[in-house]
Amino acid sequence: MLFNSYTFIVFFAIMLALHNLPLSWKTKKVNLLLASYIFYAAWNPPFILLLWLSTVIDYFVGRALYNQKDGYQRKLLLVISLVGNLGMLCFFKYGGFLLENFVAVVNALGIDYQPAAPNIILPAGISFYTFTTLCYTIDMYKRKSEPVKSLLDFSLFVTFFPHLVAGPIVRPPQLVPQFETPRTASQQQLLNGLFLLSLGLFMKVVLADGMLAGSADLVFNAATALPTLDAWMGVLAFSGQIFFDFAGYSTCAIGIASCLGFTLPENFRYPYAAIGFSDFWRRWHITLSTWLRDYLYIPLGGNRHGEFRTYTALMLTMLLGGLWHGASWTFVVWGALHGIYLCVERLFRPKPLTPDQIILEAISNKEEAVEPPVITASASFAPAFLRNKGATNFFAALFTFFLVNVTWVFFRASDFPTAGRLLSSMFGNINGGVPVLTTLAILKVSVITVLLVLTHWFMRNTSVLQVAHKLKWWLVGIIWAFMLILLLLSQESSSSFIYFQF
Amino acid sequence: MKPKQFGKAAMLTVVLLALFIGGWEWYWRSKGYETLFDDSDALWADKRAMVYDAPDKSTVFIGSSRIKFDLDIPTWEKITGDKAVQLAMVGSSPLPALYDLGNDEKFGGKLVIDVTEPLFFSNAPPFNKTPKENIEYYKKRTPTQRFSFEVNHFLESNFVFLNREYLSTNALLGKLPLTRRPGVFVFPDFPEPFDRSYFSRQSFMADEFVKDTNLQKQMQANWAMLGEAAKRMPPASAKDLETMFTSAKDAIDKIRSRGGQVLFVRTPSSGPMGEGEKMGFPRDRFWDKLLAVTKTEGVHFADYAETAHFICPEWSHLSPADAITYTKLLIRQLEQKGWVFPHKTATANQSSTSKL
Repeated sequence: MLFNSYTFIVFFAIMLALHNLPLSWKTKKVNLLLASYIFYAAWNPPFILLLWLSTVIDYFVGRALYNQKDGYQRKLLLVISLVGNLGMLCFFKYGGFLLENFVAVVNALGIDYQPAAPNIILPAGISFYTFTTLCYTIDMYKRKSEPVKSLLDFSLFVTFFPHLVAGPIVRPPQLVPQFETPRTASQQQLLNGLFLLSLGLFMKVVLADGMLAGSADLVFNAATALPTLDAWMGVLAFSGQIFFDFAGYSTCAIGIASCLGFTLPENFRYPYAAIGFSDFWRRWHITLSTWLRDYLYIPLGGNRHGEFRTYTALMLTMLLGGLWHGASWTFVVWGALHGIYLCVERLFRPKPLTPDQIILEAISNKEEAVEPPVITASASFAPAFLRNKGATNFFAALFTFFLVNVTWVFFRASDFPTAGRLLSSMFGNINGGVPVLTTLAILKVSVITVLLVLTHWFMRNTSVLQVAHKLKWWLVGIIWAFMLILLLLSQESSSSFIYFQF
Repeated sequence: MKPKQFGKAAMLTVVLLALFIGGWEWYWRSKGYETLFDDSDALWADKRAMVYDAPDKSTVFIGSSRIKFDLDIPTWEKITGDKAVQLAMVGSSPLPALYDLGNDEKFGGKLVIDVTEPLFFSNAPPFNKTPKENIEYYKKRTPTQRFSFEVNHFLESNFVFLNREYLSTNALLGKLPLTRRPGVFVFPDFPEPFDRSYFSRQSFMADEFVKDTNLQKQMQANWAMLGEAAKRMPPASAKDLETMFTSAKDAIDKIRSRGGQVLFVRTPSSGPMGEGEKMGFPRDRFWDKLLAVTKTEGVHFADYAETAHFICPEWSHLSPADAITYTKLLIRQLEQKGWVFPHKTATANQSSTSKL
């Protein structure tokens, strides 16, 4: 069931009503669980069996892992869980990809092997709920937290409909305790939730689907080379589209959970205002990047075993992170680019200061602070606007945004020739490409991109709710109504969210 | 802001939204708009599911926009007692829909295939895009999509401004007088009164369009421009055409093997478009050959005195009044071809249907 569908609006209204009836907490949890199964079954009912299988296995394996004393047995249980979860993910998501590459390799070796094309349907949200259950069993193995007390709570933790299909990827300590005590939304939570739901739908339906998707599709589907302007506009359009689509989904999910009295973790923090790539990954798909850090990068050694091992762990994490997004080499390259950016950034970052240097730094800063600003300015050869730290950071953020856009080419292109053609067009290696974007399309992409980057920059250290609560009530009302009116006027059909395919 | 103040903001939002909806709806109604239905994949899928409803009491139509305009469904249903299931798609080839019905083991009813030569005898991807998307949507339709469709039907039945084609944000922005970028193909602007759609998927021209020769000329210019664009597409090769003929025959044979009846129909076109089609697609090489290879009967408007005279306001589609007349005549022509409508409740126009 899509958040941007009439069915969901009716479903959600019923859920809100049920959740606020004077029923026992257990009954309300059962309602939420059944509703979550209905929500999921709306795509493809048989796949609900996979969800049950994953839930039941991990619940019991998790408990056993926590209670088991024998080290060998514990490792065996962990392997069962990993094989079960990752095996399912590999079969459904990477089965075709693995077979395709296997065939390419054996054909290259001169063996004529042409198997029938596998017809595997990807269950919605499998990448997300697999990561949710995986982190539980790994936590149980490490005894990081207590096992979930009941199968009902664990099932709800895995299946809770706001996060089920496209995150945020939740950890047990973030959500399970919330199921242990009765809760309904306070007036503030309900209003915050409805506001976030409206904002999320506005981002998805009006901006991603209505304003940007068309231009991105035209450019990425173009069979020939494009003029530089069209190529850049297409990439910027996709850059905006994927943010509004995915952040829109997360905002809806957080808003829906809030309406029911639950809190989900933040997933986006104005990523296009990031200064550098480590900052970008602290702002983009936060729950995935922290998952990868905790369950992949750190177990691979993190930064505890010297520089070489650190860079290796970083690259491996980003390559696998890329592959998580899709079973294609283009996603691996996307991950590799991010890995390279992170490595380069790490290589050139200032070394940690020694205690003596810290003292010296503190003293020199103190001296600068008392120095008249006019002297500092006249002593510098840099242009005035660059001597402002804010301006420098802004340009650093713009440079990061530029590099991020280059990576999106590989993320969105269906294959390497398309990516290559587009990159050539973007960097001017094309003579006389065929333009595809209209003046209106270029205007829409330009205006939205500028507003997007500026909004991210000015909001980079705050949150939308913090800002909304600081504004006058009538201004919030007007902005809220504006979003809903545009939502109504866009009349976009219920198109799926991009991240559902992952 | 305190919760109470956020509550005030929410109240203001509701009031502003209600005021806007009321005002916007009133504005478009005052401009003469009426409630219409988006001819979407969901609406197509809704009709596609109807092909199984009482095969002896329904006739399925596939083709391009012409049959959508030229078949007046109320007239058809009143005279034949048959339900008309309109599956034709604007600007598209009927072949994907024919293959889909041919491969559908459950379909064995009456099928009328509208032939618009430039679309039918072409394998240009744009002419197959919508049919493929609609068929895929139908096959993958989920229960929630069906429910959303019903809600949308209710809303579209009541609000004029819910008109995606002409009154959505993008449609309204598209009317801005912006400088055109050289070299960019821009789909021509179809005047709104030209193409309106009922829930049955029947298209019709508004009175305004039938009366206004300027609007008609605008559409004629649009057809001329699209015709020029189509000329730049590579024509179907002789081999492609052979494949089309044999694939169509295979699909038709499958439908017949399940007890179905199939017939081709060529609806009227006139003016330069009619002449262009006659020249570009000589009957002996296309229409006649199609009937011969597929061993299927056909009704060509030019073969009958009473349908040969129709003048299409913009060269390609009949006005609503002519569509009623044409539908009555088409029923008689089908009966002459041996089609039987067992639930017929009224007699068709008594005028004779003499072959030219």
